[in-house]
Amino acid sequence: MIQRTHSSAKPILSVRNLTTRFRTDLGLVTAVDDVSFDIMPGETVGIVGESGCGKTVTSKSIMRLLPEHVTRIDPKSRIMFEGVNLASADERTMRAIRGDRIAMIFQEPMTSLNPVFRVGWQIDEALKYHTNLNRAQRRERTIEMLRLVEIPNPERRVDEYPHQLSGGMRQRVMIAIALCCEPDILIADEPTTALDVTIQAQILNLMEGLKRKLNTAIVLITHNLGVVAQVCDRVLVMYAGRVIESGSVHDIFHRPQHPYTQALLESIPKRGRREHGKRLPTIPGIVPSLHDLPTHCRFADRCRYKQDKCIAAEPDLIETGDGRSYRCFFPLNQAPAAPKVHAHDEPLNRAVRQEDC
Amino acid sequence: MTGRLLRSRGVRKFRRNRLAMAALGVIALYFVTAIVLFFGGISMDATKERVAPKHMPGFFQTPDLDERLAFAMHFINEADVASRLASSRGQHPHEILQEKALAERRPVRLEIEQYDLLLDEAFTILEEELDLVENLQDHPELEPRVERMEEIAETIFPAPTGWEGGVYWLRTFLGSDAAGQSISVRAVYSIKVAFQIGLITSVVSVLIGSLLGAAAAFFGGWVDHLITWVFSTLSSIPYLVLLSVLIVVFFGTVFDDPERPFLSLVPVYVAFCSTFWIGPCRVIRGETMKIKELEYVQAATAIGFGRFYILLRHIIPNTAHLMFINFSLLFIGAIKSEVILSFLGLGVKGQASWGIMIRDAKDEVASYFFWQIGAATFLMFVLVLAFNIFTDALQDAFDPKHVD
Repeated sequence: MIQRTHSSAKPILSVRNLTTRFRTDLGLVTAVDDVSFDIMPGETVGIVGESGCGKTVTSKSIMRLLPEHVTRIDPKSRIMFEGVNLASADERTMRAIRGDRIAMIFQEPMTSLNPVFRVGWQIDEALKYHTNLNRAQRRERTIEMLRLVEIPNPERRVDEYPHQLSGGMRQRVMIAIALCCEPDILIADEPTTALDVTIQAQILNLMEGLKRKLNTAIVLITHNLGVVAQVCDRVLVMYAGRVIESGSVHDIFHRPQHPYTQALLESIPKRGRREHGKRLPTIPGIVPSLHDLPTHCRFADRCRYKQDKCIAAEPDLIETGDGRSYRCFFPLNQAPAAPKVHAHDEPLNRAVRQEDC
Repeated sequence: MTGRLLRSRGVRKFRRNRLAMAALGVIALYFVTAIVLFFGGISMDATKERVAPKHMPGFFQTPDLDERLAFAMHFINEADVASRLASSRGQHPHEILQEKALAERRPVRLEIEQYDLLLDEAFTILEEELDLVENLQDHPELEPRVERMEEIAETIFPAPTGWEGGVYWLRTFLGSDAAGQSISVRAVYSIKVAFQIGLITSVVSVLIGSLLGAAAAFFGGWVDHLITWVFSTLSSIPYLVLLSVLIVVFFGTVFDDPERPFLSLVPVYVAFCSTFWIGPCRVIRGETMKIKELEYVQAATAIGFGRFYILLRHIIPNTAHLMFINFSLLFIGAIKSEVILSFLGLGVKGQASWGIMIRDAKDEVASYFFWQIGAATFLMFVLVLAFNIFTDALQDAFDPKHVD
């Protein structure tokens, strides 16, 4: 994985203190709580976490795709994109940005295309809305986009209906629609979850290639750590609506600092003889309900390193300067010297073992 | 586009279904007839013209002696009245008879003496032989006399031959009603009225219903509350009551003028449209609820399209199948309701319609005269049946959930 240095570059999207609440029958629920991150031009950022941790709500908050009458984006939240705060922008501004500057692809390619229109029509529609190309130019660009996403025989496919295409093909068309206006940011919400592994790899390679070609920043939302390892530059790990750890892919995978990240990494099935016949480690317990969040560390109840302090207060997000941050009182794998707060030294051993496999 | 559609699996499946193709043929025939009628194929005057004496039976029923005599007497009486009038005015009876022409039966010009001779003979036979018996059916020996009466009538009003004869047969082969109007002409003319009401109400209702239903589901909130409230309130009013109120409202205006048959249907359209849109509205509201959560709608928002655009271009086209089904249901429903309303005297005014024909036939049925009710019911039955078969076959052929 190539490490990029972003210290000099200016972020294209800067999210600060994003807090999104939903009005429900049981009261106000905070689905995304105080999330901050930057996205540099041409960078791929992964957002990982288990179901319901707020990764999709984060991405939809950026696009403002959440149903307005039940959603409250906290007024303190700032989503800065080219000097505009998307958190409070009006609908017209959002419409001009959506699809043109920030595009999005969704999890389910089978239902992401409108079944009653030809795929070419659907790409053409986006071009018509965001560009001044004439009909012939749009047609040319549509075919070019289909070729770019490696759809064989695009001249013929352009006039086919979605039901005539396979799932992988449809996801390629979705990517073509998302990229046809050359957006600065592509938000991919679990783009490969519904596809089989072979197609998954093809789609990821395609996105990687297109990113290089078009210099589009990608926000990749997934619960698949393998996908993150393959394509991302940086990772945000979310838990119960909060970012609990962030850093470069290399750091996160090799030196996780938050116990949750560590537990997530452990629960990936590994190859090798030493793993044979072993039970796959899982994280005990369940995610706290958003209706009834603890005031202390949200992971404390499931954490195997839990201490008294963990159930007394909630840790702040601590930035360590090397582009990493974590939200834990007792982080693991501290580079210089791990603070001797753990009751036993097993976690360190485990982390070391993590590194050599 | 058309070529692709014609080669598609659904169309091939539909074309294999012989019954459905037959139904399609029947509907096409009705449709063409309706269009021809709409452009004046049969004028409204033609439906009110006397073509025969009253209650003349249709083609396969041989009229009994009483009816044959009545038929002959009809012409003889016309000639007699004309002849008396002519002699008092010093005219030739033919001049008066010409104005009294009965459909295709045109009078021939005879000598004045000949009229007197023929009429004298006719009335002699009538008074001396035929009027003496109560029921001619019981006296087959009198048939030659009746035949003679027919000959006399034929001499004055010869039956048309050739092209005119064919037309005359078409106008009389289903008999005539109580006013001597042609049942066949009236029954066919009613196709126009039925299609007019069926098409206008179903198109308008489906359009209103699907737009409001889709808007209610898509925008939610107060829009949904308002539209749901309107249709649940309206659906609690039976359309018969609504129609009666509308007729009172329109009473005495141009919409109440039997001389303007098109405008006089406006209360019917208003009553039907304002109650019939509820069905499609409910169905399409439900479908839109489902569709708006699908990812392509979100994807469309993510491309940057506005909400109205998404509603019109992405959601409504996806409810097209429901619109078609509702259209065919409402089309048939409107035709049937029109018949019932006209039967009750609330619907069509001033022109022929199946409902009016059935109402007129009410009293005839008691005297075993079934031609009028038969013709109206048959044409309506065939249309409704063909439409139902057609709709079923369409669903079989195009519904992806249907497995054969």
